[in-house]
Amino acid sequence: MTTLELRAVTKRYKKDTVVDDVSLTVADGETLVLFGPSGAGKTVLLRLIAGVVEPEEGQILIDDEDMFDVDAEHRGVGMAFQNFALFPHMSAFDNIASPLTVGKRSVDEIKAGVDRVAKLLKIDHVLHHAPRELSNGQKQRTSLARALAGSPPLLLLDDPLRNVDAKLRFEMRLELPQLLAGQGATVIYVTQDYKEAMALGQRIAVLAEGRIAQIGTPEQIYLSPKTIDIARLFGDPVINCYDVVGQRDDTGVFVELSKQRLSLDDSKANCVDKNSVLGIRPESIKFVPENTPGSIPITIEAETPLNEKVVTLALTEGGREMLISRPSGTVAPTTGNAFVKIDQRALLIFDQTTGENFVDSSEIDVDRGVAA
Amino acid sequence: MEHQSKLETVLRGIALLLVVVFFMFPIFWIFLMSLQTNETILRVPPSINFEPTLSNYRALITGKLETSAASLEINFLQNLWNSVFLSVASVSLALLLGVPAAYAFARHKFKGSEDIAFTLLSFRFAPPLLVLLPLSLYFQKMGLADTYLGLIWVYQLICLPLILWIVRGYFEDISPDIEYAYRVAGHSWFSTFRKIALPLAGPGIAAAGLLAFIFAWNNFIFALVLASADKQPVTVGALAFITASGIQYGQIAAAIVMSIAPTLALALYAQKYLVEGLSLGAVKG
Amino acid sequence: MSDIHLDIKQVDKIYGTANSAVHAVKGLSMAVRRGEITSLLGASGCGKTSTLRMIAGFETVSKGTIKLGGKVLNDLRPVKRNVAMAFEGYSLYPPLTIRDNIAFALKASKLSAKDISDKVHTMADMLEITDILDKHPSSVSGGQQQRASLGRALIRDADLHLLDEPMGQLEPQLRALLRGRIKHYIKENGITAILVTHDQAEANALSDRIAVMEGGYLQQFESPQRLKDQPANLFTGTFVGEPPMNTFSASVDKESDKVRFDLDHGVSLSFDVTDFSADVIEAALALKSVVIGVRPYAIKRDDDGMKATVVANHWLGDQSHIAATLAGQSVILVEHDRAPDKAGDDIFIKLDPDNIHVFNRETGYAVSHGAEIVG
Repeated sequence: MTTLELRAVTKRYKKDTVVDDVSLTVADGETLVLFGPSGAGKTVLLRLIAGVVEPEEGQILIDDEDMFDVDAEHRGVGMAFQNFALFPHMSAFDNIASPLTVGKRSVDEIKAGVDRVAKLLKIDHVLHHAPRELSNGQKQRTSLARALAGSPPLLLLDDPLRNVDAKLRFEMRLELPQLLAGQGATVIYVTQDYKEAMALGQRIAVLAEGRIAQIGTPEQIYLSPKTIDIARLFGDPVINCYDVVGQRDDTGVFVELSKQRLSLDDSKANCVDKNSVLGIRPESIKFVPENTPGSIPITIEAETPLNEKVVTLALTEGGREMLISRPSGTVAPTTGNAFVKIDQRALLIFDQTTGENFVDSSEIDVDRGVAA
Repeated sequence: MEHQSKLETVLRGIALLLVVVFFMFPIFWIFLMSLQTNETILRVPPSINFEPTLSNYRALITGKLETSAASLEINFLQNLWNSVFLSVASVSLALLLGVPAAYAFARHKFKGSEDIAFTLLSFRFAPPLLVLLPLSLYFQKMGLADTYLGLIWVYQLICLPLILWIVRGYFEDISPDIEYAYRVAGHSWFSTFRKIALPLAGPGIAAAGLLAFIFAWNNFIFALVLASADKQPVTVGALAFITASGIQYGQIAAAIVMSIAPTLALALYAQKYLVEGLSLGAVKG
Repeated sequence: MSDIHLDIKQVDKIYGTANSAVHAVKGLSMAVRRGEITSLLGASGCGKTSTLRMIAGFETVSKGTIKLGGKVLNDLRPVKRNVAMAFEGYSLYPPLTIRDNIAFALKASKLSAKDISDKVHTMADMLEITDILDKHPSSVSGGQQQRASLGRALIRDADLHLLDEPMGQLEPQLRALLRGRIKHYIKENGITAILVTHDQAEANALSDRIAVMEGGYLQQFESPQRLKDQPANLFTGTFVGEPPMNTFSASVDKESDKVRFDLDHGVSLSFDVTDFSADVIEAALALKSVVIGVRPYAIKRDDDGMKATVVANHWLGDQSHIAATLAGQSVILVEHDRAPDKAGDDIFIKLDPDNIHVFNRETGYAVSHGAEIVG
C-alpha cells in the first residue's frame, strides 16, 4: 500500500517559480501521468517527490508520512530518467544491482534480484556490457530495470521513452502497463507526448507553467478539456479553433461557421452573445458529397498522410484553415474543391477572453465518446 | 574531409616540421650543451662538432663542482629531492582540499558561491612578488620560514585554484541525474560522491593534479625567498652554478635536463588527460 | 527524360583511407523529377546524410556522378550549385535578427527592399514567426529557430532545396498545420525539395516519393502509399508505418483447396487457394519457411476468426491501439472507434488475404503482396 500526497508544493529557483502550489493525491497502485510541454515543471516535481530537490513550501507525504526530514535514499522510490542516467563506469549488471547493494544482501540474493528484472525487460543477455556498448533501446530497458530492481512501492518515471526511436517507443508503450501492473507499484509517469499520457495514465495531471491546469482521466481531458490550451495539447493533428459568437434562436443555441449553422446543445448555452472560440477536432469533420445539407465547401491545400490516418489541410470560403483527419484507406478528394460536414456533438466551445471551456468538465458524460 | 594532393601533404609536413624545430630547438641545444665542457660551449662560432662528455652529470651527482678557480660543493641531488617532495606534497594537499571543494562549488549553488570560487582563482592573478614580501615577514614571525610546511602552504597558491577550477568543470559535466539515480537507489550523498562523482571525474582530477605538479615543480620565486639552500628545489638550486669564476653552462644544462626529465616524462605519459583537462578548464573556467 | 531534375548515378561515398575505409553510400542511383518532394528516410548511419552532403557539395563524391538540371555537380563548389539548404542545427547567423536571417539570401538578388520585405512577411506568416522577426536567434526557442531556418531556405529561388531534419523540433501543436502549409507552398512554387529525416511520419506526410536507406544501400524508392502496400523487403515493410507491420514466421503447406500458414503454438492461418495467384502459392511452397506481414489496419474482427488475448488497449482520442497475443506473438490492431476491450479479454480476428505480404525468411525479399506475386 503506497499513496502519495502533495500539499501546496512550491519550488522556486531564484525568482522563477517552477512548481507553483501543486496539490494532488495518488492512490495506491495508480498510474498518474504528469503531462505538459517542456518547462512546465514536470521533472522538478518528480525530483521533489524523489527528495533530491527540496521544496520551498508545502508538504510531500508518502503513505501519509511527511517526507520533510527523509533523505532521498530513505524514501523507498525507484526512478528512471529521460537520459537513462546509467552509471557509465559500471556494467549493466552493476547498474541494475545498485538498489540492491545497500543493506546486507548476499551475492546470491543480489544476483537473483537482478535476474528477475533483467528477464522481465528482456536484457538478461547484455548484463555484462558497459552502458556505452548498449543500444539505445537496451539502455532504456537497463534504466527501467534499475528502477524496478529494488521493488520500490513508488516508481517515478521521468519521460523514459523520450530518447528511443519511434518503433521502440511504440512497443514499450504497449508493454509498460502490463509490466507496471505486475510490480504493484504506485507510478508517477512524466511525459510530453500526449499519446503516451493517454495510453499509460489512469489519470493525467496537465501541468502548465508549474501549475496543474487540469487533472482527470484521459477521456475527461480529451473530450472535455478545461481550457483551449489543454485542448490544443491533446490530439494530432491539433484541434481546429475558430473565433465565433454564440447565438440563440427558437430552435436553440448555435454558432455560425462559413455561413453554416452549427447547433450546440443546451449545456453550452453560456456562450450565447459571448466572444467564443469554437474547437473542432479534425477527426469529427467528414467529407461528404456535394450539396449535402449542412455541408461546408472547402478548398484542399495539401494532403499529408500520418500514421494510419490522412490529414488534409483545407481552406473554408472565408479563407480560414481547417485540418481534417480521416482513417487511411478511406476514399476522399485529395485536391480541389470538396464538401465537409462537422459532427456537431463533438464541438467544444471556449470563452475567448479566459480560454476556459463553457462547459464544466465534471458535468460531462465521458462515456458518450466522440462520434463514431 | 577533402582529398589531399601529394604536394599538399608535403607542404603540410614541412610546415609541421618547422613548428616542431622552432619549439624543440632550445631543448635540443640544452641537451647538447649538457654533454660539453664550458670551453666547447663558449666557442665562437658555436659548433655541434665536439667530444661528448658526461662530466657535467658526474659533477651533479657527486656534488663536486670543479672550476678553474676552486672546487665547490653543490648539493644538486638534495635540490632534486626537494623538488619531488615539495611538488608531490603540495599537489596531494591541494587535491585533498580542492576536489571536495570543487564538488561543492559544482553541485551546490549557494549565495556567494560564485564569488568565493572566483576569489580563490584570483590568487593566481596576483604577482607572486606582491604576496611574497608580507608573507616572508609573517613566516619569520610564525617560524614557518625555511620549513617544508611553509613552502607547501605557499604552494597552495599555485595548486589549489588550478585544481579547483579544472575539477569543478568536470563535476559540472556529470549529469546530476546520474547522481540522483544513485541517491534514489538508496545510497548516501557521501557514497554517491565516492562511488559516482569521483570515478567519473577521474580523468579531470588526474589532469588537474598533473598540471598543478608541473606548475609547482617549475616554481622559482617562492622557494628563493622563503627557503634556504637545503630546502630549495632544482629551479633555485641551479643558481649555484653562477660562480665567482663564471657561469657553469655545462652543469646548468645538465641540471636543466635532469630537472625537466621527470615533468616531461609525466606530461608525455599523460598527454591525453592533459589536453582534455586543459581544454575543458578553458571552456568552463 | 527531360523532367529528370536531380540525377544520381552509381554514387559511392567512402570515408577514410584504403585500410580503414567506411563505405557510407553504396551504388546509389536515383532520379528526382522537377517539382517533386523526395525524402531520404533511414536510421542514423544509413547513408542519408552523406548523400545530402554530397548533393550540397560538403563532401566529395567518391564514385559516380550527380547531375542537377543536366549539369554535373561533382567538381562544382557548393556556392556554385544554386542549392538552398536548411540545416539540422539551424545554423542561423547569431548577430542577425530572424528577419535578416530569412532575408539574407535575397539581399544579393535584384529584388527591391519592399519586395524582400513582402516575401519575408509572407514566409513568416506561413511559419508563424511574425512576432519574433526582430528577435535574435539566441533569444527564441529551438522550434522557432528551426522554423526560421526553414524559412531562410524556402524563400530562396534555388534549383534544389535540401532540408535536413527540417521539422524535428517543431512544437507538436503546429506540426500538422505547418506540414500542410509547407507542402502547399513547395507545390505552389514548383520547388524541388529533398528532405532528410529519420521520422517516417514526416516523410510520409510531405513526400511524393520516399527513398528508404539502410546500410548505405537504397532499399526502395516509392510513393508513401506504395511503400506501405508493396514493401520490397522486410526492412522497408517494418520500418515504414506506425504502428509497425505485424510479422509472423510461418511454414507453408497446401491441402487440396486450402493454403495453410502454420505459425507457432499450433495456430494456423488457412486461406482458399483462390485467394492467391497460383505462382504465389508455388513460390511460397518452394520456400517452405516464410515471414508473413500484415498491417495493423488490415486485421479485422471476425466472430469466426482466430482467438487472440488483449494485452493492452490504448485509446488516443481518434484511434484505439490494441495489442494482443496471437500464437505467442504480439499482434497490433488499429481501430478508429473507441474499442471497449480490456487487458485479458479475448478477441476474434481475421487476416484479410488481400493485405497479406509474404517475405522470404532468409533473404527478407518480398514474395507477394496480397494475391499478386512480386515480379
